[in-house]
Amino acid sequence: MDRNGPFRWILLIFSSLILLFLVAPLLGMFMKTGMREFFETTGDKEVRESIWLTVWVSFTATFIFAIAAVPFAWLLARKSSPLKKVIHGIIDLPIVLPHTAAGIALLGFISRDSLLGKAASSFGLNLVNNPGGIALAMALVSLPFLINSARDGFASVPERLEKAALNLGASPARVFFTISFPLAWRSIVTGFVMMFARGMSEFGAVVIIAYHPMVAPVLIFDRFNSFGLSYARPAAVLFIIVALVVFTILRLLSEPGKKAVVKNEYADS
Amino acid sequence: MLILKNISKRLDGFSLTDININIPEGTYYILLGRSGSGKTQLLELIAGLNRPDSGELWLNGENITGKKIQDRNIGLVFQDFAIFPNMTVSGNIAYSINSGKVNREQVNERVRNVASELNITHLLGRSTHHLSAGELQRVALARTLIRSPRLLLLDEPMASIDASLKDDVKRLLRRLKSRGLTIIHVTHDYREAMSLASRVGVIHNGRIIQEGEPGEVFRNPVNKFVARYSGVKNFFEVKFRKENGEWKAVGNNGMIFHLPGNSYPSQGVLIIRSEDITIWNTNPPLQTDNCLRGVVREILPSDSGMEIVVNAGNDFYLDVSSEMFKRQPLSGLSEVWITFPGKAVVTLKEE
Repeated sequence: MDRNGPFRWILLIFSSLILLFLVAPLLGMFMKTGMREFFETTGDKEVRESIWLTVWVSFTATFIFAIAAVPFAWLLARKSSPLKKVIHGIIDLPIVLPHTAAGIALLGFISRDSLLGKAASSFGLNLVNNPGGIALAMALVSLPFLINSARDGFASVPERLEKAALNLGASPARVFFTISFPLAWRSIVTGFVMMFARGMSEFGAVVIIAYHPMVAPVLIFDRFNSFGLSYARPAAVLFIIVALVVFTILRLLSEPGKKAVVKNEYADS
Repeated sequence: MLILKNISKRLDGFSLTDININIPEGTYYILLGRSGSGKTQLLELIAGLNRPDSGELWLNGENITGKKIQDRNIGLVFQDFAIFPNMTVSGNIAYSINSGKVNREQVNERVRNVASELNITHLLGRSTHHLSAGELQRVALARTLIRSPRLLLLDEPMASIDASLKDDVKRLLRRLKSRGLTIIHVTHDYREAMSLASRVGVIHNGRIIQEGEPGEVFRNPVNKFVARYSGVKNFFEVKFRKENGEWKAVGNNGMIFHLPGNSYPSQGVLIIRSEDITIWNTNPPLQTDNCLRGVVREILPSDSGMEIVVNAGNDFYLDVSSEMFKRQPLSGLSEVWITFPGKAVVTLKEE
């Protein structure tokens, strides 16, 4: 036993128990799913459509909200305001809110009786039971992950670099796109992936807004409720595998940013 | 011409107060002050990174007080250089002219020209991550100079540079000075002011306490702070009196200084620069205004040779060149004579 003695062993045991707790249910699920059931599920059109719907709606929601959320995160990192703590509290609200409650709140906001619902209806769009409504539900509960990560990324960019760029005659927009954004890129991508992942796995808020069309978490719940565990399990396994593949690809795509040298504006050609 | 009129700015626990400076075009102005004296804050106000609470800034006849940073065309080289780590050296240098208004060929040519002037052509295609401080500084200068700024601001340009490269940087800055560029250089080292400045301002606690040509400021500092800051170590509190038509200053322990001139207050503080004192290991053959006998108390190596502390009633600090020290070797507690002319004794205007 080394100098750290029993304390080191206690730490090791606790860490192993926590890791086991996180991995064991998933491993159990994978092990209990037979290959035949799994391949049957991959051929199930309803499952495939549900997973595709989940992926594209979550990605679209993340992408569209990122257009406004990333500049907002820069503002939070750079500007001080007496209301800053309140604003941070509002941003973190969806994390502490029960997601079904968030769904109900959103339903009141987008149902046909509401202002937004009426406006959408005038364009022939009903947000309830619609991918548009699902996107809003996903975004509502997952936006804090993008905003917080992007804000931390911008905060870690030295403000002097932005001031130096302004001093060189660049407009604030050019400074944002050539200095702040490229240097905070990795944190923004991390936030993007987290928001996307959280959106994909969302059940509580989405099920209130749209039972149909079914996103994967709702479909898994529906199968479990109607047919039992063994029928829901292969769909869950497939969804997890698809999610893992998507996140791995996104992570790999964001790897070049690790070197912190993004494509230069100027090439000595 | 840059004019600062009654500039005041309150910052966290500190304020710049009533700053008035006129800097004619082509001047190499050195703003001298300790860290925390407000010199960098003043530079940032001129560049537009901050706005003054009151007062006005005029550049070449234009009031730029409310003008945005990006519209001032005032080049600022930060102390830490603020090089963009996501761009190559050439990307950094071209940043200000690479906004689509100048065609690529012209951009390349201007980058090559400024890089050649600063001897960094070989660095152009490189990432900035492994450059030395000296190289980063040249990149930062090139990046600023490519815009042909109306005014160049340098924040402690020698602070991050190895001692061996400081002469190179000084040569470079002298070259910029000879081009007629107006430069404001902030430093805490009076030797930089002596070797580069055509005008000096001393800032202390957010106020300019003395301004003028370097020779004048360092020869006649207004108070102990400026004197100490310009390297003076010999201070004596004295009472003045006139005897037989000759002015004398008498120190606390009865030490007497013979002074030129015809008017002195009743009491004050005298300073003598170390380099104005000559040391002898025998009784000096020549008659001088002031000759004191003392004992060597300490001998320390210094930039220019040796610093010797002689106790002649009070401690006197003097500089001896290495050659002189070799010719006239001294050791601790040896008896010596020190001489200095009356005109080397300067009376401070303020305490």
